[in-house]
Amino acid sequence: MDFTLTDDQQAVAAAIEQIAEDFGSTPTEAHGFALVSNALDEALTEAGFFDIAAVPELGPVTAAVAVEQLARLPWTTEIALSMLVGPQLDGDWARPFAVIENGRPSRFAASAKTWIVIDGDQVSIGPASDAVEPVESLFAYPMARLTQAPGFAALPDDQARTIRRLLRVALAAEVAGLMQGAIDSTVEHLSVRKQFGRPLGSFQALRHRMAECAVLAGGVRHLALKAAWSGDDGDAALAALHAQDSATRLIYDVHQMLGAMGMTLEHPLHLWTYRMKALLSEQGGRGGQAVEVARHCFAA
Amino acid sequence: MEFAWTAEQQQFRETVRAFLAEHLPEDWESQAHGPGSEHQTAFSKLFCARLAEAGLLVPHWPEEWGGRNLDAWSAFILAEEMWMAGEPRGGQYMNVNWIGPTLMRYGSPEQQARYIPPMAAGQSLWCQGFSEPEAGSDLASLRTRAERDGDLYRVNGQKVWTSYAGEADTCFLLARTDASKRGISIFLLPMDTPGITVRQIPSVIGEGDIHEVFFDDVELPASARLGEEGQAWDIVRAALALERVGIPRFALASKTLHRAVARLKAEGRFGHGAVEQAARAHAACEAARLYSYQIIDQRHQGLSTGAEANAARYATVNAERAVGEFVVEHIPEALAGGETMLLAHHQRAIVAGIASGAAEIQLNLIATNLLELPREPR
Repeated sequence: MDFTLTDDQQAVAAAIEQIAEDFGSTPTEAHGFALVSNALDEALTEAGFFDIAAVPELGPVTAAVAVEQLARLPWTTEIALSMLVGPQLDGDWARPFAVIENGRPSRFAASAKTWIVIDGDQVSIGPASDAVEPVESLFAYPMARLTQAPGFAALPDDQARTIRRLLRVALAAEVAGLMQGAIDSTVEHLSVRKQFGRPLGSFQALRHRMAECAVLAGGVRHLALKAAWSGDDGDAALAALHAQDSATRLIYDVHQMLGAMGMTLEHPLHLWTYRMKALLSEQGGRGGQAVEVARHCFAA
Repeated sequence: MEFAWTAEQQQFRETVRAFLAEHLPEDWESQAHGPGSEHQTAFSKLFCARLAEAGLLVPHWPEEWGGRNLDAWSAFILAEEMWMAGEPRGGQYMNVNWIGPTLMRYGSPEQQARYIPPMAAGQSLWCQGFSEPEAGSDLASLRTRAERDGDLYRVNGQKVWTSYAGEADTCFLLARTDASKRGISIFLLPMDTPGITVRQIPSVIGEGDIHEVFFDDVELPASARLGEEGQAWDIVRAALALERVGIPRFALASKTLHRAVARLKAEGRFGHGAVEQAARAHAACEAARLYSYQIIDQRHQGLSTGAEANAARYATVNAERAVGEFVVEHIPEALAGGETMLLAHHQRAIVAGIASGAAEIQLNLIATNLLELPREPR
């Protein structure tokens, strides 16, 4: 049991922090629903960071740390699946990835080179085609839907199970960072915005709610890192469940703290909260995670 | 980053489990034993003496005080196994976790020689004289006073919610030595000193657990003071850092949850609603577990623990609550003549958000020290 990053892991985290610095501020002019940066994608590609899960000295836990760090940023690109799913798949699949779950619109589906398709109990994977169209969305990711079913062959159960596990870990690691990004942004607002002659953040009713959010975010991060490390189906389901449960609660709280400001596209809060909202339904949502937890953790 | 136990740590856990299997009575789990009851206290002295003989009472203490210099992980593994087994050490867990180490750091040679060996032998029980009728979360407002009179102090006042006071031999007492906010000192007070009256407060948390303690002109020598006059806060802060992530409550909560789920499954009652609630409670337990392990890791490395320890404690409160609520909703008979183990967990879990600092105080500290939000005006 050791919560300290190794020297190699620390070096990666520091290098990612350096890249993150260039993408940490939001544009001053109004921006749209999503805030995607090709430059961020290129910087991560150039540094080889999408492959760290496959590097023996680093492994999936380092990739999960990186995903959490990068998910705090207002700018995004397809990171979590590329870092935590792609390198651990059988076969060589080109990034970016998108997950098409039961025919619903999916994040990054239009720009993805590989589609992972989930239909009920079946999981399949294959190269993306041009049978896809963007959809307008409130979610702060570029969303698109397939115009025809790709017809990939269903994967054998063991491979499908691995993919579901990896997707859950990716989801939890990303949510951990999104929660932290939303908390940081909200704390800044609460520290500056005054009502009744004092900063909002000095009111205990709000301080307690933010502290509870912070505890939840830390818990999600712990569970995500553990699940990345262990490769255990139960751990992955627990992490995803706690992520979706905690995010649901946090999204409401932070929007309450921001008032009308949080509803504008001028303020970045929606970038984190509407990314989380896109993730709340994935992998069957909380009900789906709970069934998995019961299957793997309450088996005996 | 590494989430596995070492072979030595696993071995240590097995040793503790084997000890428990050998030395706990067969009907231990099905018996009700209020944590501060006369019966439990008597049992704890037998049990802790055997633990001491086996080198498992204070293994993380230095050798000069009867320990084996084992690390913070061993101490926590020991605590997990004991707590999961229903804490057969009773109130002596406090000696092991923080009273002993606090005396090692702040005690005079006479105090150490007098009090530490009986702790290491498993023969002493302490109580913690902190809370008062007017001083709970606002501990600094405590009124019990200790007035200096030559070589003596004279103590007058009242403590309340004091665990184990009925059976304790010594009190770790906080009393005011001057009127300023920080004018509080600590005294090591033998409970058989004339002028002390203890009354048990009947409660839902079990027999003999909480008390009122009255001090009427209780005289004690100046040598009973721990540290300097006015040093109480420094000492208490150090002690609470050990106590805050002291009881591994998540471990018993998790065991209880699994027990409850197994029962529901066996009875064909583990339906959809129960599945979701159980899964959430399990996630809360595992989050609390990892939070706590992170603090133990910091302790192991000799780092001071900050607001993350408050977060770990709050996560633990969430876990206790989730499991407690799950059992009440799905196995209500646990509170009505049902399974003793589930009832015992319920009674222990009630205090999770109160004992060693209310959960809301943890939230204040997290808001100020972790989030760095502006303080509330006073």
